[in-house]
Amino acid sequence: MDFLIESIRTAFALIVSLDGEVVSAVVTSVSVSLWSILFASLAGVPVGVAIGVAEFPGKRWVITLLNTLMALPTVVIGLVIYGIVSRQGPLGGFGLLFTPEAMVIGQTVLALPIVANYTITSVQGADPRIIPTALTLGAGPFQSVRQLVAELRFGIMAAVIAGFGRVIAEVGVAMMLGGNIRGYTRTMTTAIAMETGKGEFALGLALGLILMSVALLANLFLNILQQR
Amino acid sequence: MSIIYRLRNIRKSYGQRTVLAIDDLAVRAGRLYTLTGANGSGKTTLLSILAFLTQPSSGELIYGGGPVRWNNASLLTPRREVTLLHQAPYLFNGSVAGNVAFGLRMRGIRGEEQHRRVEEALDLVGLAGFGQRRARELSGGEAQRVAMARALVLRPRVLLLDEPLANVDRQTSDLLEKLVVALPGQGTTVIMTTHDPEHPDRLGGELIHLVAGELAGPAPAAASPVKEGEYQKCRPLKKPAASFLTA
Ligand SMILES: Nc1ncnc2c1ncn2[C@@H]1O[C@H](COP(=O)(O)OP(=O)(O)OP(=O)(O)O)[C@@H](O)[C@H]1O
Ligand SMILES: [Mg+2]
Repeated sequence: MDFLIESIRTAFALIVSLDGEVVSAVVTSVSVSLWSILFASLAGVPVGVAIGVAEFPGKRWVITLLNTLMALPTVVIGLVIYGIVSRQGPLGGFGLLFTPEAMVIGQTVLALPIVANYTITSVQGADPRIIPTALTLGAGPFQSVRQLVAELRFGIMAAVIAGFGRVIAEVGVAMMLGGNIRGYTRTMTTAIAMETGKGEFALGLALGLILMSVALLANLFLNILQQR
Repeated sequence: MSIIYRLRNIRKSYGQRTVLAIDDLAVRAGRLYTLTGANGSGKTTLLSILAFLTQPSSGELIYGGGPVRWNNASLLTPRREVTLLHQAPYLFNGSVAGNVAFGLRMRGIRGEEQHRRVEEALDLVGLAGFGQRRARELSGGEAQRVAMARALVLRPRVLLLDEPLANVDRQTSDLLEKLVVALPGQGTTVIMTTHDPEHPDRLGGELIHLVAGELAGPAPAAASPVKEGEYQKCRPLKKPAASFLTA
């Protein structure tokens, strides 16, 4: 019991004193996740809108596929990207393995189906009058879809936050592609997973608390958005 | 009088059910039509076809002298001449003024002229000073009037009104009725659905009556057959009459 209380005390001390180790892991986590969600959104939102709006044969199939991709285990994504960016892989020449860039690639792949799927759901649940209203007021096809996106902005923001929540909390991709290098690719999750066993329980606890706060905040935001 | 719409053997089906079947109907430019019929008789479906928003399952729709080609590129121009006011209008997120300005923005009308026309249109429907209100916070009748202003501000060639007077109080209804009746005099063709049995008589104009998706009674096409020579190429309104909005 003393051990736990002592660790919690140390954890808070680490946070309050802005311990270098803690700060570095938080910064890496947040920045890698933000870059990932940026790229995933740039691709996933337009793709999601296009799939949601368009009528084409096989649409059901595409959505089912995206749903399945959403359930991809992070270590499988890590494995595939590892194969691509490691020395012997097709992108081996860039020396990306165990860099933040590799983590961004992996987490982008992880977040993309989530962002696309939530966007599709949002488009499919949209008021059916939006596009005809825009069209009859003189909008072109592209302008009418842009108006749809404007009307759905909360739903689309929710899609982005859901993707962010997923990547900030995942450990598989960050571990396999980043390698938990201290001060470089070590994230909150890899630090917790790898350092706890090495006697760094208080550090893990401190990072766990921060991670939880970030995740809770993202979820809170998501809930607020979904209620609008 | 030129013919603006002609429908030939138009059918609209959902699955096995045919909800609209019009063999022949001609709509003359610059007239007022009241469209009546029971719930589910196909009024909204017909207006949606006339607004180029719903493609008929079969048949030919002629607008402005030529057959309508149902692809987005060809529809842009006719859609900019015809505006439909939905039975239960959707207002975009944002301000009342933003809603009324939407169609003007789509036409590249900005700045001072946009502002002036928006104000005029709001004034016209009795909502002067409502510009900065949030559209979503309006009452049903106010929203209906904003949607009316949003359509009127475009000075369309054809205005299709789907029960524009449901939801509004007596005073507003009188106001809007006056507006609508004045439109044909300014060159706008108006087709308005209504459930008010007094409307066809009171508003004058011609009656289109639907029963289960078919024309019933003396339909305009039957009453006044149109010779092919009467078609006239549609030109955009040269210069919108200055009095258009203030009449
Ligand atoms: N998207 C759709 N899918 C299936 N059926 C439809 C669809 N839209 C309309 N219908 C059907 O077509 C018929 C005609 O509908 P429409 O909305 O044109 O009637 P209406 O005359 O406008 O009725 P109301 O007076 O109630 O507004 C109805 O039976 C309706 O159920
Ligand atoms: Mg209707």
